[in-house]
Amino acid sequence: MANYKLPISQINQLFKNKELKPSELYAETFERAAITESIIHGHLELFQEENLKKALNSDKRYEKGKNLGNLDGIPIAIKDNINISGYATTCSSKMLSNYISPYDATVITRLKNEGALFTGKTNLDEFAMGSSTENSAFGPTKNPWDTSRVPGGSSGGSAAVVSAGSAIASLGSDTGGSIRQPASFCGVVGFKPTYGTVSRFGLVAFASSLDQIGPITNHVEDARLIFNSMKGHDPSDATSLIESKAKQPKLKNAKIGIIKELMEDGISEDAKKEVHKVAKLLEAEGHEIVEVSLPLTKMSISIYYLIAPAECSANLSRFDGVRYGNRVSGSTSSEMMELTRANGFGPEVKKRILLGTYALSAGYYDAYYGQALKARSMMKKEFTDVYEDVDYLISPTTPSDPFKFGEKSDNQLEMYMSDLCTIPANLVGMPAISIPTGLSSQGLPLSVQIMSPSNTDNTLLDFSESLESLVAFSDKPVINGVVS
Amino acid sequence: MADKIDIKNVAKLASIKLNQEEEDRLESDLSMIIEHFDALSKMDLPDDKISIHPLGMSLNLAEDIASKSLTHKEALSNAPESKDGQFVVPPSLD
Repeated sequence: MANYKLPISQINQLFKNKELKPSELYAETFERAAITESIIHGHLELFQEENLKKALNSDKRYEKGKNLGNLDGIPIAIKDNINISGYATTCSSKMLSNYISPYDATVITRLKNEGALFTGKTNLDEFAMGSSTENSAFGPTKNPWDTSRVPGGSSGGSAAVVSAGSAIASLGSDTGGSIRQPASFCGVVGFKPTYGTVSRFGLVAFASSLDQIGPITNHVEDARLIFNSMKGHDPSDATSLIESKAKQPKLKNAKIGIIKELMEDGISEDAKKEVHKVAKLLEAEGHEIVEVSLPLTKMSISIYYLIAPAECSANLSRFDGVRYGNRVSGSTSSEMMELTRANGFGPEVKKRILLGTYALSAGYYDAYYGQALKARSMMKKEFTDVYEDVDYLISPTTPSDPFKFGEKSDNQLEMYMSDLCTIPANLVGMPAISIPTGLSSQGLPLSVQIMSPSNTDNTLLDFSESLESLVAFSDKPVINGVVS
Repeated sequence: MADKIDIKNVAKLASIKLNQEEEDRLESDLSMIIEHFDALSKMDLPDDKISIHPLGMSLNLAEDIASKSLTHKEALSNAPESKDGQFVVPPSLD
């Protein structure tokens, strides 16, 4: 196996044993990027030259046995809606094409403290709004498994670069499945932590009550390592959780619920088969599998597409051409703002801002946004009640395997439905992970999603690691004749 | 069936200038999405306590003490136009 596909703990051991240097791994990762980037377009910007010195400094630390942390010398890609001081943060939008961040996001500070190196910034659907990266102002990312297909979104670049081997791991953000859905489409692991466990400070806000930063990795243990390096209370984020003790689900002889409503119409036979296959494996290990009903999950698309656009319409009001953004001149301030926003935002972003503005406007607030908030509270109660009986929930991550470019871009509701299985975790705040488990009848990656109660992230990761071993998914994409 | 969307008014509220083609397309797209919300808007849901935080937590306010933040120069570093340490915008009135 290539070094860039090894678990981080093994790479770390190679560094400590002086069998591999961080600068050598860094070079290997960029050699891989030189092959894959022209085909995949996962990175918007590569930091090769700037970080070489940092890789050499990491070499020296390992030589002295004084590495900063477990991520010292590990090349990690960062979604381009997370601020790194001194680098562009474009959110894949024309609006911010010239924006240079003057500060680090808290997650970046924490990864830097661990010694992580950054490969560059990765592509996304503009302002994280989309499920395919087709909405990027800088062109789409392609799926490493089949370049005629989307890598998913919005963190499509972050998932594709890990799958292709041009980064050891990456950070994404997940508002309705934007880490897990692309991870599934690209055959890698994607983890959305409990809301509030990882600081959102420095993440360009889309929908503040749903957004969460998390890792995309080749192995579950890497996701655990990166999550634990980033988590913890941050006074700069008012929604950041102060760590509290929660009842943990069982690791042995656990009870696992298959969500009935996520195994019905709209879910492909391949995706259902994958869940049943995994359920059988778990049963053989002594776990109990039951079917559970969570009726409001059927409403989750409607709830999400009211709450997320409402929050986005407020959050994106800051892009008005005054403090940042590509300004278009106007004779008055209001004309300048209207023209700046008309020119800077792409079609999907405009649509969601207008949808949110409508849902919040006088006369419609109670019927739409207010109703969505009530349904969200009810949905949370449904999940809390089910977790009284089961330890984990399981579903497909996505209704189907990766779709082709253009296949859903003309049918907005069908595109939105691709997040059907992932949205509930954002609405109720619980942790959820996508684990690749097999290939579809078309030879494309499929995954299952495991969810657990809020604040049980590390137990979910432990359980997922044992599931990962049981499934033993080892297929990799072939790019330009080379297996990743 | 939801009311017809007054797209010009919504665009005005959102401060986004739309051309005719965008107005037509967005009016149709938004109408389709809002129709999809019909079932939710008609549900009989209890007026439970609603929390914006998905875990129902109250927001943690930072202590009211001075701490390190952006410098004046950094805050202005991405401004389209600035003068004498201030953001410059066109006049508010014609």
